[in-house]
Amino acid sequence: MENKTAMPVMNKKTFKFQLFSLLNGLGFALFCFLIIIPLWKVLVDSLDLASGYGMKVWPTNFGLAGYQSVFSNPTLLRPFFVSVITTVSGTLMGLTISTLGAYVLIQWDMPGRAFLGNILLFTMIFSGGMIPSYIVMKNLGLVNTLWVVILMPAINVYNLVLMRNFFEGIPASLFESATLDGCTPMQIFYKIVLPLSKAALASIGLMFAVSYWNDYTNYKLYITKEMLYNFQMKLRSIMMGSDLPSANGGATENTVQNAAVIVAILPFMILYPFLQKYFVKGINIGAVKE
Amino acid sequence: MNAANIQVRKAPLKNRILKYKWFYVMFLPVLAFVIVFHYLPMFGVYFAFTKYNIIKAPVWVGLKNFKRLFSMPNFWRAFSNTLEISVTSLLLNTGMSVIISLMLNEIVSTRAKKVAQTIIYLPHFMSWVVTAAVFQMLFSPTTSGLLNQLLLKMGLIEESIYFLGNSQWWRLSYYIINIWHNTGWGTIIFMATLTGIDPGIYEAASIDGAGRWKKMWYITLPSLANTIITVLILNLAKVMNLFESVFVLQNNAVMDVSQVLQTYVYYQTFNSGGIPDYGYTTAIGLFRSLVGAALVLMCNYASKKVRGRGIM
Repeated sequence: MENKTAMPVMNKKTFKFQLFSLLNGLGFALFCFLIIIPLWKVLVDSLDLASGYGMKVWPTNFGLAGYQSVFSNPTLLRPFFVSVITTVSGTLMGLTISTLGAYVLIQWDMPGRAFLGNILLFTMIFSGGMIPSYIVMKNLGLVNTLWVVILMPAINVYNLVLMRNFFEGIPASLFESATLDGCTPMQIFYKIVLPLSKAALASIGLMFAVSYWNDYTNYKLYITKEMLYNFQMKLRSIMMGSDLPSANGGATENTVQNAAVIVAILPFMILYPFLQKYFVKGINIGAVKE
Repeated sequence: MNAANIQVRKAPLKNRILKYKWFYVMFLPVLAFVIVFHYLPMFGVYFAFTKYNIIKAPVWVGLKNFKRLFSMPNFWRAFSNTLEISVTSLLLNTGMSVIISLMLNEIVSTRAKKVAQTIIYLPHFMSWVVTAAVFQMLFSPTTSGLLNQLLLKMGLIEESIYFLGNSQWWRLSYYIINIWHNTGWGTIIFMATLTGIDPGIYEAASIDGAGRWKKMWYITLPSLANTIITVLILNLAKVMNLFESVFVLQNNAVMDVSQVLQTYVYYQTFNSGGIPDYGYTTAIGLFRSLVGAALVLMCNYASKKVRGRGIM
């Protein structure tokens, strides 16, 4: 109350401040809205037995028949389990390879360390390409087995380098004292490195899990047996119109397609809110090292 | 630092190798994976100089595959499509990510910020198959296509447009879908930079009378410049890799604007109808790999110049 002269100025400033915040907030809300709409539409249509006509906020003819068609269909249940199995085993495999490689690459005094690192880095510069990879996998007898889609993505140099960046943060004095206490390198790995890197394991494990669950290219290239398709492959053929599961209890074709999309993203949608921070952490360590 | 200086007189190499013997053993599985999945295919580029159809043994033909390749208009179109689509979507995605980061940075409430981030990161976790499915339905010309229905109702168009099946609209649709898929995730790296800005600079600017616009323009944006360049360089190195996102969104009607090198290789090999010529398609792949490698090395050099360290 005492500085009356200052009041109008303050008011003007606050007003401008609020207008800016308001416009910014509105703009951002609009962006979030545009991000969410496509997914919301799929969710609504998957629950709507009379889907097929656009623009509604809520199912007009609510029913779960779309999901029933998806889950009662053995040709869809199998791909779902293929996805689960390859995701779990692939993630474990990927973490094993990444942690082993990263642990070796932080041994600064090890003769040949730089050479081993360069062997890995060179694969980021040059690749044989799609067809030579296919020929090699075919000659090794890996085509049309799940081995190829589990093993091939497990060696991911980018993730391995991320893991190394994490490991570099562990104080070297810990290794030294453990060695003095008579720990072998393998014991140090199990008893010190891994327990100290839980956040890294979570972040990079999740990256692996997402890429395994979402894998389509490797299946498209190396798997032709329908028995070994994962859910992404199956979803693709459903969307292309072939292979549509017979609609149960009055669900339209459109409803079943939408339900299949929701099932494909469901596992991660459930986990995502809880695990978001690990995803972000992984990216940050990799991108802004300095 | 001291340790490095003292180690001028190192122990004999043999002793040091023995000391680390278990580490070499631990590296063996990694080495096995790299050799099988990366190096064996690299030696497979030998097929680029042969005529090979898997059934018969490869026959050496020298540069014949490359001569055939360079005389193909389809190949050159795929090459220019790859560059155009990759680079345009890279610029659009990065630009959008910067704008969204700046907006996000101005949101005061941490709670609102958290919710907003959770929402905009979401599309990144959708596979390209799911993304394509979602947008095929959204952009569909039928009555279930939300976008067409909306435009019709607003009177902006007379009849439905088949956005993903029309050469005039395919690229634009592709870019929009890419922005949807990548923008939110792209903001993470910019947000990390923004939270690192010293708040003292903003306070000093406020005292000097700078408003929020001025602060954004003269402080926030310039401090992002380095990160923006980094992101562009990192991704420029990958432009030749374009495959899955295009593959799941293209169809026969839009091949002229959507065929990229990787999809060209795929269709020539696995979908050509006749017996595929693996030598020829390996040659296309080799060309792509070489251009890609040149780009990586250029970007690495640029990165060293700009920010003092390489991209690898």
